Amino acid sequence: MKPRRSCLLVLFVVLAASLSAHAHVGSKDVFEETSAGPYKLFVTIRPPVVIPGVASVDVRVSGAPVDQVQVTPLALTGVGSEHGPAPDTMKRSSIDPKFYTGSIWMMEAGSMQVRFNVSGADGKYTAAVPVAAQALTTLKMQRAFGAGLGVCGIILILGLGGIAAAAVREGKLPPGAMPAPALRRRGLVAGALTISFALLLVWGGDKWWNVEAASFATTVYKPLSVSAFLTGDNLEMLVGTHQSDHLGQSRSNDDFILDHGKVMHLYMVREPQLDVIYHLHPDFISAGDFRLKLPQMPPGEYKLYGDVVHANGFPETLVTTINVPPGMQGTPPQVDEAMGTPAPLSAGELGASYKLPDGYTMVWDKPATLTADTAYAFHFELLDPSGKPPAHMRTYLGMAGHAAFLKTDGTVFAHVHPSGSAAMAAVMLANNEGSTMAGSASQGMSGMAGMSMPVADTDLSSNAVEFPYGFPSPGRYRIFVQMKHDNTVETGTFDAIVK
Amino acid sequence: MAHAVSPAGSVARAREQSSGKEPASDTGVPWYLWCGVLSSTLIEIGGIWDYSWHRSIGRDTFWTPAHMAIQSGGLIAAGICAYLLILTTFGGSETAKAAAVQVFGLRAPLGAFLAAWGGLTMVTSVPFDNWWHAAYGLDVKIVSPPHALLIFGVHCVAFGILLLILSSLHRAVEAGSPAVKTMERLYLYAGGVIVMSQMFLIIQYLGNGSLHLSRPYRVMGAVVPVIFALLSQAHPSKWAATAAASIYTAYYIAAILILPLFPAQPKLGPVFYPVTHMVPSNFPMLLIAPAIVLDLLYRRMRDEKPWILALVTGVVFTGVLVAFEWPFADFLMSRWAENRFFGTMYYDFSAHPSDLAHVFASPPDTGLQLAAGLVKAAAISSISALAGIYSGRWMRGVRR
Repeated sequence: MKPRRSCLLVLFVVLAASLSAHAHVGSKDVFEETSAGPYKLFVTIRPPVVIPGVASVDVRVSGAPVDQVQVTPLALTGVGSEHGPAPDTMKRSSIDPKFYTGSIWMMEAGSMQVRFNVSGADGKYTAAVPVAAQALTTLKMQRAFGAGLGVCGIILILGLGGIAAAAVREGKLPPGAMPAPALRRRGLVAGALTISFALLLVWGGDKWWNVEAASFATTVYKPLSVSAFLTGDNLEMLVGTHQSDHLGQSRSNDDFILDHGKVMHLYMVREPQLDVIYHLHPDFISAGDFRLKLPQMPPGEYKLYGDVVHANGFPETLVTTINVPPGMQGTPPQVDEAMGTPAPLSAGELGASYKLPDGYTMVWDKPATLTADTAYAFHFELLDPSGKPPAHMRTYLGMAGHAAFLKTDGTVFAHVHPSGSAAMAAVMLANNEGSTMAGSASQGMSGMAGMSMPVADTDLSSNAVEFPYGFPSPGRYRIFVQMKHDNTVETGTFDAIVK
Repeated sequence: MAHAVSPAGSVARAREQSSGKEPASDTGVPWYLWCGVLSSTLIEIGGIWDYSWHRSIGRDTFWTPAHMAIQSGGLIAAGICAYLLILTTFGGSETAKAAAVQVFGLRAPLGAFLAAWGGLTMVTSVPFDNWWHAAYGLDVKIVSPPHALLIFGVHCVAFGILLLILSSLHRAVEAGSPAVKTMERLYLYAGGVIVMSQMFLIIQYLGNGSLHLSRPYRVMGAVVPVIFALLSQAHPSKWAATAAASIYTAYYIAAILILPLFPAQPKLGPVFYPVTHMVPSNFPMLLIAPAIVLDLLYRRMRDEKPWILALVTGVVFTGVLVAFEWPFADFLMSRWAENRFFGTMYYDFSAHPSDLAHVFASPPDTGLQLAAGLVKAAAISSISALAGIYSGRWMRGVRR
């Protein structure tokens, strides 16, 4: 019997030291700003780490007055998306009437959504937020818990032996009769045999437990395998598939849909100093084959974070590394590619104001303290060299900005948009906006001749952008924020120490 | 069996004869026996109710009515055991002490110890089950290690109650008590509750669509003959197996008739089938058929050699059950069974449209495969019956 099971039973549970994640890396919670008609919702969904499990849901409402918020979990696509259970009414905070809390049972792994029914003076409206539900880890037992339940187990086994001994020794005696020595001996033998049998059952139970644990382990999320190869400046990424016997857990490498115009959003970050970052968009050539001509870039070891979204709305971040050799002749960057070269981590913590190479400045309205597991709406502004809002602010890939949150130890990566941390393609599917996906949403990339679709950037009236997000764990993070003015994409960089 | 009678025992019996024996109700049946069967009944009803809850509503809490029924049954059992243990160990009743066994210095009737042990096992399973949920997810299987521990505990409570009744019954028989008849009925009822418990354990293998496979008969062969044989052997009763099977059948039919009267709304998705009322479990297996045949057989063979009796029991149980259940499954698949009594038109909320067609699992067992499966079922039934025969014969003499 293994040491961790030596006592059969246990009292507390702890999370495994690190959690892998699907959309993003190490950042499972969803922070999203959305609208249900005239009602504005800031949604925080904390999915469970095992499926089936219970997710907590928090909503802060603004805009038109709200009377009630109801919440329902259901599949994002397919027949399950049309057959949700009865919604639950979220509980309104007695202290803060604009804050609602609730919990939902997520019974199936895969691409899910949480649908909100909001009612108020202006009527009833709905909104939906996608959630990638996956088992992420196997929980370990705490030694004290195991010891506590182990003691219970020992007491039970000894008790059973005692009962068996008493049954043989005295069970059939007439009332008041005393057992003869022979009966006492037989009682002892019966007790010993019963204890032996109970131990055999415990051993069998342990074997069974191992089988169950192994079965569960096959459901724990594993991202699609990916390998990167660099030939000259030609980057090729080969992505595998994941086959599973478990419902909704198989994933293909040729069903990707466009996410704000791109099949893949690739962040390349030079390790270990995080002092060079690129936001690129490889082309989808064929099943599992992405290719890209890299721009000229400083040599070094780069970590690649490739965000893709499957046809059912399930997002993944594919992680690998490549080494860029010195003197690589790159291809001139394309119009929607962006890069930044902040100071290395070892140079110290970057402040709330970041001076850009062209004289512009990006400013972060940085909270005085940052704590893990707290939902924030991080506010950034872009200023021209004179310190004023730029005259021609524009969207970048259809949005006011993009942000990437990286933990410096490499355990967290999240690509976040002004609407939140959910993949835009999944958000559009959840809210029945698939028609804007250039026809790809329902069929993936199979059969599509094209790769990326151009996204028309439009003028913006504001020089500010907000990103809903919460750091998953304490530590040092580097935040890369991209905003566009005229035809220039600026990449500001900020550091955050999270408690 | 070798034993010596102590002076205390003589005194106890003398007092028993002069002072009205054990604590008893008006019928002469100790009150705790009534509470005991109430306890195990509540636990079993709670189980059936909980199963329905998961089919109809899906999401539960510690405080659902079904869970409350199970927990109140456990509390009643705990109360009885604690009362008997304290009264017998620390109380002044020599009568109670004389009819008790001793475990680690504590005294109580054997059944009370077993039921208390079952209760402790149930309690231990709770944190284990909570950990299991946290580690591997909320319940997706009825049979998991912590649930097995819980169900084992429930069984021990039920067997403890049965032993408590049986020892009282045997003493009542010897004393010529007028309560014997009532106690016999309680004994058979408690046996029926154990059959319910056994059948609940294997409920996931007994879908109507699987009844033309050999597996359900193997599974039933493992858990039912042991109880039929035990009940028939432990106390002479003409219709022990039939009575126990009837209790099981009656409760499951009652569930079909009663549960759909109550509205319910699924709280988990996806909801493929529009459930509006509580969904009962399937129509009970026709255990009553082999039970009747076995009871008739046992009248002639009750004291036959164990292995012969076990072999006969295994073959008869499997043969008769298959003979009745196989064609009955055809009926259950027909539209004639879609009514309030047979209840085959009730589906749980997760029933996919393809599940609504009444079709047998494909491919069905046929030919040699079926024959081999049923021979295996008979062999399993025989082993199960052998365990019941030995246990039952030992229990014939239980007095404490």
